[in-house]
Amino acid sequence: MYWVSVITEAAVFAILALGLDVVWGWAGDFDLAFYGYLALGSYMTFVLTIGKPVAPVQYIIGGHLPLLLAMVLAVAAVVCLAAVIGAVALRNLRDIYFAVTTLGAVSALYLLVENYTPLFNGYNGVYGLVNPGQTALNLTYNGYRIVFLGVVLVILALAYLLVQRLSRSPFGRMLRSVREDERAAAAYGRRVFSAKYRAYLFGAALAGLAGSLFAIFISAFNPSAWTPQELLVIYAAILVGGRGNPRGVIAGVFVVYIGLVELTRFLPSPASRPDFGPALRQILIGLMIVLMLKFRPEGLFRERPGLDGAQGLAARLLRPFGTRAAPAPAGGVPAAEEQAAGDRGAG
Amino acid sequence: MTTFLVTIGIGLSTAAILALSAVAFTLEYAVSRVANFAHGEFLTIGAYAAYSGQHIFHQSVAAAAVIAAVAGMLAGLALNAGLIEQFRGRNSITIFIATLGAALIVENVLIIVYGAASVSYSFGQGRLHHVGPFLWTTTDLEVIFSALAVAGLIYLLLQRTRFGKAVRAVSQDRALAQVSGIPARRVIMQTWALAGAVSGFAGFVLADTIGTFGPLLGFNFLLLTITATVAGGLGRPYATLGGALIVGLVIQISGTYTSSAYQLVFAFLLLVLLMLFRPNGVFVRRSATEVRA
Repeated sequence: MYWVSVITEAAVFAILALGLDVVWGWAGDFDLAFYGYLALGSYMTFVLTIGKPVAPVQYIIGGHLPLLLAMVLAVAAVVCLAAVIGAVALRNLRDIYFAVTTLGAVSALYLLVENYTPLFNGYNGVYGLVNPGQTALNLTYNGYRIVFLGVVLVILALAYLLVQRLSRSPFGRMLRSVREDERAAAAYGRRVFSAKYRAYLFGAALAGLAGSLFAIFISAFNPSAWTPQELLVIYAAILVGGRGNPRGVIAGVFVVYIGLVELTRFLPSPASRPDFGPALRQILIGLMIVLMLKFRPEGLFRERPGLDGAQGLAARLLRPFGTRAAPAPAGGVPAAEEQAAGDRGAG
Repeated sequence: MTTFLVTIGIGLSTAAILALSAVAFTLEYAVSRVANFAHGEFLTIGAYAAYSGQHIFHQSVAAAAVIAAVAGMLAGLALNAGLIEQFRGRNSITIFIATLGAALIVENVLIIVYGAASVSYSFGQGRLHHVGPFLWTTTDLEVIFSALAVAGLIYLLLQRTRFGKAVRAVSQDRALAQVSGIPARRVIMQTWALAGAVSGFAGFVLADTIGTFGPLLGFNFLLLTITATVAGGLGRPYATLGGALIVGLVIQISGTYTSSAYQLVFAFLLLVLLMLFRPNGVFVRRSATEVRA
């Protein structure tokens, strides 16, 4: 049963990672708001299914909807939030400006959720969605966990097929061309903002779906369950697997997540230092991010060539990064332009 | 009215700490073109170094401040040599993500060394002082005056010394500075040492003002620092001081008239609004180079 739980969690994160990879891997926008989308997906799934709040507990809506309908509505709510944040952040801002804006927006909302209890019960969070459908399907506890794992894996497979198809579609190719050179793509008549915006909404929808499944998996959610630091695990997994390659991303999540859990499970955890194991895990994730970026930024499975005009891209990804003499950064942004990118905001 | 003035007073003390942290952040950006997400860890390291050292020097606030600054300086040097220079020539977002990774590492090393629970100094806050219309504790006064002194020193350093000239040259164009005979590498290293020392000191005064702190002290302060930096204009040290003043006052005033729990909500909303309407700082009317992809 231990393994069922580990694999279920990894599969949920893989769905989130697929969504994040569309935004970062294809469209090239490093986003720090996605942890908020997963959280909102979870919260909405709870408040739409667990009924009216009882005395000290407070939250909005308190519906008794069927689970599937609740999941659809939760994803819709997440897409709405992403539509607002994306409209603000994607219009003129890029790179670190984009990253900081997304982080600022979601941090503000997170603080609001923590302190304004009528919304989602503040720090204590919401709970009460225990194994929906277990009695209807007449399953034992363990049987239910296995069936749920199966459902999550099927959803992951469907998400993968959809993303894979999109990756090879004109839309996927357009996103990559925008990532490689925004101005060239615009000069060829691509609507840059619209392309990035649609990618962002699609990615956020997958994050909301992951959040909804996460809610069912852990059956309780509060603000400390999920923080920006957790998002870095997903980024580490994408880096390891290979940015822009859906199969690589899924492999990366399973390798990183299960690898970390297994590595730190057998460590001696002194009773006086209960934080030792989790802290060590975070240190390993930090090291993984830094080392992958330094030595193998394309990941273990690099973005697959064979798409239209992607040969040049693959060659670029294979080329060793910036030599000391000439500061020509990879990713096709000349040094002078990089400075301009910083000033891009007012445009 | 009295409430308002007291609020302004506390806002000034917050702004002073913010100014120290934001000036350091903007100096790092100016010479290395890096938005350093591990900047908050300099503050945390400074705060914890002072915590470890406070008993050695018999509760001397000055000694603790020096220890914090030295620890911050070492952290600045280490990050520059170990990470920033290693990633030289890579695009800005790659380095940004690498510093995020570094922040995660430092944060959790501190958790392992000091534990995740909050700690506090044993210095007193001192008594209350009425200065004109304002009401400050001794600590507040120390913070404001030391921030003014540090800001003044940085101004003199940048405007009146060969080092300052070199820093300004490198921040304009590293390659050009190099061929003009400026040892760019060394200047950048010294700038990081300076930024680290200022941040370490800021971390100590921040921790002392708040009372208790944990391993997330700096990371939680980072987004505020960035808000102040953006308000001033990234890479512009003097304007950053103005940015810090704006953010410090916005936090305290909004916090007093709603609830202190929401003051950061207002700060981050301000960040988003700045990004929307004034990404190059409130002191610039229009960007000189308008780039629209």
